[in-house]
Amino acid sequence: SGELYCSLLNPRNVRFESINMKNVLHWSAPEGTGNGVLYKVKYSIYGVGKWIRKPECRNINRTWCDLSSETSDYEEQYYASVKAFLNGMFSDWVETTRFNPLTDTKIDPPMVSVSSTEKSISIILTAPEKWKRSPEEESVSLLQVYPGLQYNVSVLNKKTKKRWFFSISNHTLIVPRLEPGTAYCVSAQIHVTTPLLDSGFSKEHCIATLKDK
Amino acid sequence: SVAEIRAGFAAIKANIQARDPIRTHSILSHPRSLHKVKSSDRCCITHHLFDFYVDKVFKHCKTEDSYVNRKISSIANSFLSVRRKLGQCHEQNQCMCGQESTEKFKQILANYEGLNVTSAAMKSLGELDILLDWMEKSR
Repeated sequence: SGELYCSLLNPRNVRFESINMKNVLHWSAPEGTGNGVLYKVKYSIYGVGKWIRKPECRNINRTWCDLSSETSDYEEQYYASVKAFLNGMFSDWVETTRFNPLTDTKIDPPMVSVSSTEKSISIILTAPEKWKRSPEEESVSLLQVYPGLQYNVSVLNKKTKKRWFFSISNHTLIVPRLEPGTAYCVSAQIHVTTPLLDSGFSKEHCIATLKDK
Repeated sequence: SVAEIRAGFAAIKANIQARDPIRTHSILSHPRSLHKVKSSDRCCITHHLFDFYVDKVFKHCKTEDSYVNRKISSIANSFLSVRRKLGQCHEQNQCMCGQESTEKFKQILANYEGLNVTSAAMKSLGELDILLDWMEKSR
């Protein structure tokens, strides 16, 4: 006689969301299910045989699971998979597409600090750090991960509304021949040529050049 | 150029990788990662790999999707031009092949021949970002 079992609809939209290589698996609950659905997660390294369970994401009712630690080697690529269960029913395992931390992460804007003299502005840019397991762990700048990393810098004269754009590889920029006693606003973006990755622009940092003595 | 290859691949990556159901087998990255190759052997491995893709892979990568096919042929053309430049290095003896690169390339061919030709070609094409990441990192 046929074996009767009820299956649950599958979790949907299973994917990695990654910022500065903090790699978090996200999904949506199976359609039509309210509360009470639980999930378990596993992951695998592409090219290596086995699936590995993530104990901290077993029997969870949230719809995300942080796999940053398990996917921190960005020379590898990964798959992850989620299964839902409710009242003895369970779904299929639903997989992500192949995840490449190097090309599939998003990058935060750089940190911007500015100072001024009478006729110039000095800008110092700092690239964000790669995600790390703990504050004690050694920091790795994304500059080390992406050797081709550059900065696009925008400088706006608040009085004349004139804007300049600079594209630099160095992390400092001095903008000379400015008007004394004038407010300028600076914003910067990270641009990686290969793989092609762009951060958003940072929020504006405004500063006034010193008045003429 | 490599940037053109990267852009072309990014446009079809999800499509191509979805055609490769085999998670447990990699052509380029296992059992030994390209990233473990000594710097002295990089030019030779790169030259071998461009030959491998031009001579073995692209011709077996036909799909039913004309857009994907166009992208594949433009990637193949970019490979041809980069291979030409690599060939010049090879002729000027700037691309010496050590034992390690010979062993590594043998492993890649063995991985490739471990699958039927269509699966192997599609898998190799889906691993282009592994090749590009390694090339750019080791520049």
